[in-house]
Amino acid sequence: MLELRGIQKRYGGVTALKDGNLSVCPGEVHLLMGENGAGKSTLMKIVAGMVARDGGQMLWQGREVFLRAPAEAARIGIAMVHQESLLAPHLSVAENIFLGREERLPFGWVARRRMLERAARLIREHHFPLQPEWRVGKLSPAGKQLVEICRAIQHGSSLLIFDEPTSSLSGAETEEVFRIVRALRDRGMGVIYITHRLEELRAVGDRVTVLRDGCSISTGPLAEFSTDRLIQDMVGRELVSIYQRESLPPGPELLRVEGLSRAGKLREVSFSLRAGEIVGMAGLIGAGRTELCRAIFGVDPVDAGRIFVEGREVRIRSPREAVAAGIALVTEDRQKTGLALRLPLAQNLTLTNLPSISRFGVLRRGAESRVAADYIARLRIRASSGKQLAGRLSGGNQQKAVIAKWLFRQARIFLFDEPTRGIDVGAKAEVFDVMHELARSGAALLMVSSELPELLQVADRILVMRQGRLTGELPGRTTQEAILRYAALEPENLS
Amino acid sequence: MMQRLLPFLSLIVLFVGLAIASPHFLTDTNLSSVVRQTAVINIMSLGMTVIIIAGGIDLSVGAILAMGGLLGTMAMEKGMSIPAGLLIGILTGLFWGTVNGWLTVKLSINPFIVTLGTLGIARGLALIISNGLPVHRIPPAFSFLGEGNLLGVPFVLWLLVGCALLTHAILEHTRLGRYAFAIGSNAEAAVYAGIPVAFHTTCVYAFGGMLTGLAGMIEASRLMTGQPTAGNGYELQAIAAVVIGGGSLHGGEGSVIGTLIGAFIMGLLSNGSDLLGVSPYLQQAIIGAVIILAVTVDELRKRKLA
Repeated sequence: MLELRGIQKRYGGVTALKDGNLSVCPGEVHLLMGENGAGKSTLMKIVAGMVARDGGQMLWQGREVFLRAPAEAARIGIAMVHQESLLAPHLSVAENIFLGREERLPFGWVARRRMLERAARLIREHHFPLQPEWRVGKLSPAGKQLVEICRAIQHGSSLLIFDEPTSSLSGAETEEVFRIVRALRDRGMGVIYITHRLEELRAVGDRVTVLRDGCSISTGPLAEFSTDRLIQDMVGRELVSIYQRESLPPGPELLRVEGLSRAGKLREVSFSLRAGEIVGMAGLIGAGRTELCRAIFGVDPVDAGRIFVEGREVRIRSPREAVAAGIALVTEDRQKTGLALRLPLAQNLTLTNLPSISRFGVLRRGAESRVAADYIARLRIRASSGKQLAGRLSGGNQQKAVIAKWLFRQARIFLFDEPTRGIDVGAKAEVFDVMHELARSGAALLMVSSELPELLQVADRILVMRQGRLTGELPGRTTQEAILRYAALEPENLS
Repeated sequence: MMQRLLPFLSLIVLFVGLAIASPHFLTDTNLSSVVRQTAVINIMSLGMTVIIIAGGIDLSVGAILAMGGLLGTMAMEKGMSIPAGLLIGILTGLFWGTVNGWLTVKLSINPFIVTLGTLGIARGLALIISNGLPVHRIPPAFSFLGEGNLLGVPFVLWLLVGCALLTHAILEHTRLGRYAFAIGSNAEAAVYAGIPVAFHTTCVYAFGGMLTGLAGMIEASRLMTGQPTAGNGYELQAIAAVVIGGGSLHGGEGSVIGTLIGAFIMGLLSNGSDLLGVSPYLQQAIIGAVIILAVTVDELRKRKLA
C-alpha cells in the first residue's frame, strides 16, 4: 500500500535522510528501527505530511503523492499516533475523536448526541478502556494514545504510524498497546511502528527496516534478523575518527553521587567523577540522563540521594547552591537555558560571577571588557568583540561562550548535556579541545551524549543509563555494540 | 539605529509642530508647566523601565501613587513634618512595590495579573482609609516640592534629573541592573546561572514602587491635596513612555534616556491637545493607540531579528 523510494530530506546544512526506502503492505506491522538521529522520525513525518520531502518518490496505493499537510495525509488514509499527545486536554474523548470533523446539524449546530453515540460504538467495538464523556486531560499517556487511535479509525485511516508509543507507558499499558496493534493488523490495516527497544519488537513486528545515517540499511521478515544483526545494522561498522584524545591520569575524586532517586525518573543512581576525567554518559532518549544532570544541578528536587563535592557532602536544592559548590551545567538547549541571547557576549560571560568584577555593588566596566577579551582569546570564540549580541554567534561559539561563563565562575565540575548538538563538525572538534583543556586543568567532566562515536572518542569511561537506572560502566575503548546492549536490553538478557 | 532615533525625531517633530501650531506653546509658563506635568509620569516611568527590562510589568502604579500621596499628606495633616510626610509617601510606594515583587515571585503568577490585583486592593484601601475624601489641611510650604523653583528651574526638574541619573546608574553600573537585564532577557538562563532571581525581581518592583511613591508626593504637592482617586490611568502613560522609548514588553531591553524621551512625547501630546482644544477624552484614546503602535513597531523588529 505504501512504497517509499530514495527519500531525501535536508534541514539547512544537515542531511537527515539520504536514501529512505520502505514498503508497507496491508495487514502487517512494519518495524522501523535505528539509533537516535538515524532519520526514522523524519521519514515518518514525510509520510504523515508534516514535512515535505526534498527528493525521492512516495507511492500510495500505486500512485505518486506529495503531501503538504497532515490533513492531506488524513484524507488519503494515513494517520500518526504521536509520542507527545496532540489532543485538546479540556475536551472529552468523543469531542477529541471528532475534532475538526464534527457532525453538523443545520445552523452550525454540532450533533453532540450523535457523536457521543458513535464514539461509544467505536470504543465498544475495539474493547478500549475508555468512556466517550471522559476528559482527555485526565487520561494516562496510554489512554491518550487510544484516543488518537480512535481518531484514526474513525477517519477511515488504513495506515497507522506509531512513533515509539511505549516510551512513556508502564508494562501493563505496553501489553495493551501491543494487543491493539495486533488487532488493527488483523483487520487489515497497515502499521508502521517506530522503536529502538530491542526486546519489545518481537511481540508485535512482522517485518523490519533498519535506518542508519539517513539510509535504509536492511529490510526483511523479522524472523530473519537476530538481535545481534539488528544491533550491527543499527550501529554500522565503520567509525570515522574525527578526534583522538589521550587519557590523563585521574586525580582526586571531585564529585560523588550516592543513590540519587526521583520518582519515575531516577532510580538509585550512584557514580563518581575524578579530577582530569571525562566520563561519558550513554543511553536512549528518555533514559534519564538529562534528568540526572538537572537533579545534580538542583533544578529538579530529588526524593533521595546524597551528593559529595571533594569528599564533603553538600545540599543542593537550587542551581544557585550547585553553582556555589563549583558545579556547572552546560545544558542541552543553550538558547533556552544557557545564554541571554539579546544581551552582549561580554555580559553573558560575566553573569555567573558579577561580584568578582564589582566593587560595593558597582560594576567595573573596564574589568568586564578585559575578562571578555581574555576568554574570547582563550577559547577562540569567533566574535567581533564582547559587545556582539550572544544571539548573533554561531552554535559552536555560543557553546564556547557557555563554557567560558562557567570557567569565569571557577567551576570544577562540569555536566555537559549533549554538548555537540546542532554544532558543525569543525566546531565539534574545537569544543572537544576545550573540554580536554578543562580536564587537563583539573576539572571533572560528565558528558551526556547520544552520539556514540563521539563518546567513544572523548570519554575515559562510559556510564550507561536505562529507564532511570545506571545499567553499566564500560571502559573508554569499548564498542558501540556493548553500549547499546546496556542501553536497550533488560539486565537479565545481557550475556 | 533607526529604532533609537525614531522616538527622538518624533519628539523634535512634535515640539516644532506645536511651536508652529500654537502661539502659547513656546512661552515660559507653558514650558515649565509641561515640565511639572510630565515630572510625575516621568519619574513613574523610570521605575517602570527597570520593571519592564526585568520582564515584568506594573499595572498598579496609579493606585500606588494615590496611596503614597494620600498617606504622606495624611501624616502631615496629623502634624508630622514635611520631610517625614515625604518619607512616608515614598516608603508606602516601596512597600507596595515589594508586595508586587514578592507575590509575583512567590506565587509565580504573571505580573500582569498580580499587579492588576494589587491595583484593585491599593485603590480600594486608599478609598477606605480616606473615606473617599481628599486630604486638604497640608502645610503651605509643601507646595514647593511640585511648584517651587530652584536656581530658576522647576524644582521637580532637579528631582527628575536626580532620579534619572540614579536609575541609569543602577541599570548600567550595578549588579541589580545587570541581573534585571539578564532576568528579562532569559529568566530560565538566569536561574541556571545561579542568580538569585527571586530576590532581584522583588528588588526591581520595590525600586519601581519607591519612585512611584515619590511621584505620588509630587502629584499631591502640585494639587495641594491627597486624593484617593489620584493617578487613575497613569499606568497606561508610564507603560507607553517606556515602550515608545524602546523598552520591550518581552523584557531585556529599555533605557533611561529612551523612557525620558517617551515620557516627554506623552507630555507634549497632552499639552498640545490642551492648547489646541482637543478633548481630554480623546487624549485617552490617543494614548491607547500610541501604545499599540509602539508595541507593533517593537514586534515587527523582533520578527525581523528572528
